[in-house]
Amino acid sequence: MSDKNKGLNRARQIYSNRSQRARELKAAGKKIIGYPCAYVPLEMLTALDLVAYQTCGDMKEPITEADRALPHSFCPVMRNCLDCALKNKNDFLDGMVTIHSCDPQEKTARVWESYTNYPYFHFIDMPISVRPEALEYFKSQLDDFRKTLEGFTGKKLSTDKINAAIKAHNRQRALVRELYELTKPSPPRISGTELVQVIKALTSLPVAEGNDLLTETLAEVRNRTEGPAKKSARLLIWSSTLDDADVMDVFEAKANVVMNESCGGIRAYRADVKSSADPLEGLANYYLNEITCARTFRQATLGETRKDYARDLRSRFGYLKGIITEWKINGAIMLLVRYCDPFAFEMPSLKDYFNTLGTPNTYIEYDYTTGALAPLRTRVEAFLETIS
Amino acid sequence: MHFAGVDIGSTMTKVVLIDKKGNLLSTIKGPTGAEYRQLANEVMRQALEQAGLQIDDISYIVATGYGRLNVPFADRQITELSCHARGVYSLFPNVRTAIDIGGQDAKCMKIHNGRLVDFVMNDKCAAGTGRFLEVTAATLGIRLEDMGDISLKAAKKIQISNLCTIFAQQEVVALLSRGEKLENILAGLHDALAGRVAALARRLGIEPDLVLTGGVAKNTGIVRAMKENLGCEIFVPEEPLLTGALGAAILAKEIYTKAAAVGEALPTKSRRLEKATFFTQEHR
Repeated sequence: MSDKNKGLNRARQIYSNRSQRARELKAAGKKIIGYPCAYVPLEMLTALDLVAYQTCGDMKEPITEADRALPHSFCPVMRNCLDCALKNKNDFLDGMVTIHSCDPQEKTARVWESYTNYPYFHFIDMPISVRPEALEYFKSQLDDFRKTLEGFTGKKLSTDKINAAIKAHNRQRALVRELYELTKPSPPRISGTELVQVIKALTSLPVAEGNDLLTETLAEVRNRTEGPAKKSARLLIWSSTLDDADVMDVFEAKANVVMNESCGGIRAYRADVKSSADPLEGLANYYLNEITCARTFRQATLGETRKDYARDLRSRFGYLKGIITEWKINGAIMLLVRYCDPFAFEMPSLKDYFNTLGTPNTYIEYDYTTGALAPLRTRVEAFLETIS
Repeated sequence: MHFAGVDIGSTMTKVVLIDKKGNLLSTIKGPTGAEYRQLANEVMRQALEQAGLQIDDISYIVATGYGRLNVPFADRQITELSCHARGVYSLFPNVRTAIDIGGQDAKCMKIHNGRLVDFVMNDKCAAGTGRFLEVTAATLGIRLEDMGDISLKAAKKIQISNLCTIFAQQEVVALLSRGEKLENILAGLHDALAGRVAALARRLGIEPDLVLTGGVAKNTGIVRAMKENLGCEIFVPEEPLLTGALGAAILAKEIYTKAAAVGEALPTKSRRLEKATFFTQEHR
């Protein structure tokens, strides 16, 4: 029988009450630093004994306060994140690190900074392209980040400390990948909804506690006799972020979601930070090149005069081919949170790529409210009817 | 052996009963309404009465539409997209594209041999749906069912620049106060709606034959505007509201017959006609 304070049960508890552990740690004297997006190098926070806490939106919370500052036709996830902050739901934060991963985050960061009063606030100006010059610039930005962190904590960010933090976070990435190995069998040993809860719990905990949670969860899932039921389809969901169990339930009512390629799923854990003499270089390289968010400009044929669309598609989405084969995906869903322009613009190309692979696919848009779940259900079920 | 399709749409509830050969026995349409959504049983009772049947005479029941989860006596739920596809195919065997414009959404379906193969739906916004026409009819003080015929008398189309239902309504008021003729404004409104739905359909790719269904297909002005916008012939069923319920009934027959052929007993729900209770695990 599973322990109610361990593994999946613990992940579910943390998912339902995300800030509880952060508040306990704060009471014990730790400093808690918020971040909105997977591009913030958490290793640099961990290395200075700061607790990283992802400030997520809450789909069930109607947006009221953020509308003072942001337009309606704006990323509802960021509006919702800011709304929670303005309603003092993150009152335990000692600081906030924001990043120019996309324009809504950059604009929201400005508003966030002016409306709140955390002791520490830092904005990382992340470049949009993966060219070598961009990497150099990003590295200089991480060096600026290092300086403000050292100023805030009064501690030096040594190479040893940062290497130790990289090791701990790489361990977390490896454990998450091990967990995703367990969705390969049919039926999967762990459901998409359980994975959403585990990943969201990780973003609410210090890395060491997250790794313990993952170790417990792996043992529990490997040993349990009753897992998810086999459904008619094995889905890949590609999205900006799918981090809500109620949304995942809509998909899993009639399908197994075996790969969640979003920031609520495997995206931030798919690769490792490589070791290098200068750890900031390793971090810059990982965060710029390895996280496959649509915000980053990638074009294989850049600078060439002839169009080679097929090669370009392979360079941008090639990593999905292996996933589709290994996880035996028979349906791909491109799930767009409304007004997420970077992902919206990526959809037609990705659709072409899925079509070249012969993977049935569909594009679904929803607006990050609970009211969107019924229309979402109709679209998901209709897609499943087309592939059944 | 009889089969039923129950289509609970956002605005209208439809029931179709067919026999084992697929002949129509009865069709019922009624407003869905806030209370009515809980009363699929009443609509079913009327349909049974019209056909002279008892609920126990129905071998298999498929529910569809946004309210498909609120039909406790239905044996299976299938989305309105697959049901429309099947219903339209039964009436127009050459159909490849169907566009359904309902009270709350518009959907475009690609159909191969009666099967839904791809689709797009509009967002939650009322622009490009029946609600757009309802709101403007109310503003103009005319009956919804007269809108199409009035628009056909237009000498010219007034361009409606805003597709948002609320802003378009304001624009209509401004046009009226400027002295524009009603029929010209209506022709412009229909063109605006048709243009929006046509853009949605082009995302999917249009292959003939094209069939237009849903309550909005009853509007002659919209049918003409859709033809102009898409540049192709458009077929409209005699009763465009019923294709979803008809498809549901046909799918009920096919599912049942296929199972019977291999001697499989399909699980069916209790045939008691009772009011739906909401949000119980049983009906999810």
